[in-house]
Amino acid sequence: MKTIRIAKGYNLQLGGRPSTEVESLPEPARLALLPEHIPFIKPRLLVAVGQTVRQGTPLIEDKRNASVRFLSPGGGRIAEINFGHRRVIQEIVIERDAQEQAVAFESIAESELETFPRKRLIEAILAGGLWPLIRQLPFRDYAQMELEPPMIIVGLGSLEPFQPLPEVYLAGKESLFEYGLTALKRLAPQVHVCAPDSGDSLPDRLSSLVSLHYSGPYPAHDPGVILYRVKKSPEENRAWYIAGQDVLLLAHLLKTGTYPTERDIVLAGPSATTRKHFRTRLGVPLADITAGRREEGDIRHIEGGVLSGFVGSDQTYLGFYESAVNLLPEGNRKGELLGLFRPGYRRPSYSRTFISKLNKNDLVYDCNIHGGDRACIACGYCAQVCPVDILPQFAYKSILAGEVEESLEHGLLDCVECGLCSYVCPSKIELAETLHRARVNYYIEQSK
Amino acid sequence: MGTIEKLFESWRKHFENGGRFERWYPFFESIESVFFAPARVTENAPNVRDHLDVKRFMMLVIVALLPHYAFGVYNVGHLAHLASGLSTDFGAVVFTGLKTVVPLVVVTYMVGFFWETLFAVVRKHEISEGLFVSCALFPLTLPPTIPLWQAALGISFGIVIGKEIFGGTGRNFLNPALTGRAFLYFAYPAQLSGDAVWTQLLAGRNAPVDAFTSATPLAIAAVTDRLGDAQSALADSGYSITTLLVGTYPGSIGGTSTLLCIVGAVFLIILGIANYRIVVGCVAGLLATGFFLNLVAPEGSLPYLAVNPIYHLLMGGAMFGFAYMATDPVSAAHMPVSKWVFGFLIGALTVLIRVFNPAYPEGVGLAILFMNLFAPLLDHIEIKIRLKKRVPNV
Repeated sequence: MKTIRIAKGYNLQLGGRPSTEVESLPEPARLALLPEHIPFIKPRLLVAVGQTVRQGTPLIEDKRNASVRFLSPGGGRIAEINFGHRRVIQEIVIERDAQEQAVAFESIAESELETFPRKRLIEAILAGGLWPLIRQLPFRDYAQMELEPPMIIVGLGSLEPFQPLPEVYLAGKESLFEYGLTALKRLAPQVHVCAPDSGDSLPDRLSSLVSLHYSGPYPAHDPGVILYRVKKSPEENRAWYIAGQDVLLLAHLLKTGTYPTERDIVLAGPSATTRKHFRTRLGVPLADITAGRREEGDIRHIEGGVLSGFVGSDQTYLGFYESAVNLLPEGNRKGELLGLFRPGYRRPSYSRTFISKLNKNDLVYDCNIHGGDRACIACGYCAQVCPVDILPQFAYKSILAGEVEESLEHGLLDCVECGLCSYVCPSKIELAETLHRARVNYYIEQSK
Repeated sequence: MGTIEKLFESWRKHFENGGRFERWYPFFESIESVFFAPARVTENAPNVRDHLDVKRFMMLVIVALLPHYAFGVYNVGHLAHLASGLSTDFGAVVFTGLKTVVPLVVVTYMVGFFWETLFAVVRKHEISEGLFVSCALFPLTLPPTIPLWQAALGISFGIVIGKEIFGGTGRNFLNPALTGRAFLYFAYPAQLSGDAVWTQLLAGRNAPVDAFTSATPLAIAAVTDRLGDAQSALADSGYSITTLLVGTYPGSIGGTSTLLCIVGAVFLIILGIANYRIVVGCVAGLLATGFFLNLVAPEGSLPYLAVNPIYHLLMGGAMFGFAYMATDPVSAAHMPVSKWVFGFLIGALTVLIRVFNPAYPEGVGLAILFMNLFAPLLDHIEIKIRLKKRVPNV
């Protein structure tokens, strides 16, 4: 079996690691879909406030391709539809009925699956609202079903602090996972299941399914990084990928013909007082997970990993793609007196300018920027950590100068948006955000 | 909330929007952020950011320079007392040194800070810390006898022409401190070259006592007669290898001690602030070129050609330039291989300028400025080669 060793990247020394314990949460009273955090879609609302929906009723469709729909994670009544700036749909909130009704979809028996026509399989996934779980590199929009991708990368485990552990969410679901892989093999000539090479914690039955091992610091697990290492020609750039836990959702839909709802979510981070996995539902309110399990004070609720996740609050719900809630101190107060001149035993840094380099303990990170905006001083840290060998300090200048061609040459589309360049920058330049916006603009321009 | 924090809070309202000194907010901010890091939090991914900022980055360079100031104060005072035939009592020597160095540093910082604040206020950005490093480096490169107004003029030229007109720290392509130093050399050669400027004379003396050599090692090596031997000429003047290494000889205020420069370079390399490729490249270039000249020097030619390359490293400010000026990340080459080439050529040019241009005894400053000009070209070539290796993705 192949092992991909990735040298570049960086592991945060972040404390607050979750345990492998799983707790089942009571059924939430409300559930929501968050169209705002699904990239690139142009949602068209298919429901109105007060309307009754079943589990699996379409809530929105994508105006770019009306066959791509997002379904209701629960049965009940539409309680609220919240709009944000420029009427972007932020949340569609469903108040759950005690007796939930579910829509019935086509179910495919395991024996049929291996010979099931590709086109009908895609239609079944589209109807079941789970097509967007399969995403296409390099832009991470949902996959274009009319193309056959060079490969599908299934990612087990994540090196980002902190994401659910595969040994937890796969436990007892091995056969469902295998079913899901069989389905994916109908979609692409190659399916790579990627797991960390230290992953002896996986049950034997699963480790035999793993076809690629990765080793290295964060973000070696990222499908974009793995593709960057395995691709040999430009034709392979449009690979698809899916997260390990999402394979289970897909398999559940195809096997049972019902819209899946179960999600294993991890609660972690230094400000969480209970750090473990929770078995709950898609679109759960964050408060259901964090209430009574976090410290008091200004705490940031991050949906997703600490580096790539977005900011939520205890008033919001879990996003469609997210399966982690990380709690960090907000850090919205001034630094300690003359902190500039202190050795900084507890102040984490990629550089060697703090003696925290000698501190092997886990450290507390907060969301403070730790400095003012400056021009680039060419320290080169960003290029040292970039897992796909971009030179962010030059790429971002070409973007700001409007040189699209040059930024593409620099590998703009190889960027996996891991956020490390922005993390290490002493001038506090929003490198990752600049690259991200340039990618989005390029994609929108290209698909016109 | 501590007393100092309260003090800043009470001043803040005058500098914020609507306050009396609203325009001078960058000034307030730069002072406040020395005491307390700002409370700003991230708004987008990644949610967490490194604790290192440019302020600490630059502050550590200044820390590395502090021993040079301590040494410079002593050396300036000690040489002044020797040359003037006064007692070399430690306290008196240090007092004399302080009387020379402190006004220079104060003037340099005041003038430099004035320009930076002016540009920051007009351009509405925060004060960038690169200035503090430039102002710390600049006095160390000057002779102790420099008039204060020339120091003020030099740092003004360095900060304004060397940096601000291109957009400030991070956008300059020349090292600002060296730009100011080079300007002074060409504008006022009388006060920046010759044997007389490197030692202060006290007690109303016009010439040093007889036993005192005021010529710098570089001057001696450069003007040694044909057929003579530069190394023995140096030894005759009392410049042994140890003296040259320690730096107790006439020269710029802080640049003579090669030993301290090596310590500083190692310190900065360990912290990851100076790049080892540049420093090692510089030293390698200097030694290789010196050795090459030894090999090709014909019989009876310029004695300087035959000088042991180690002497080139020890004399004058070569190592000071390599450790602190060439490693300025902004004006140096940015790519790894380019950094080797950049460093090597600085070392080589330093020797070539010293040996073949007697009018300009110290070559390292010009060598660095010259290579600063070529750094973007080196980077351009290396980036082009690197980008060709990528699997295209468009």
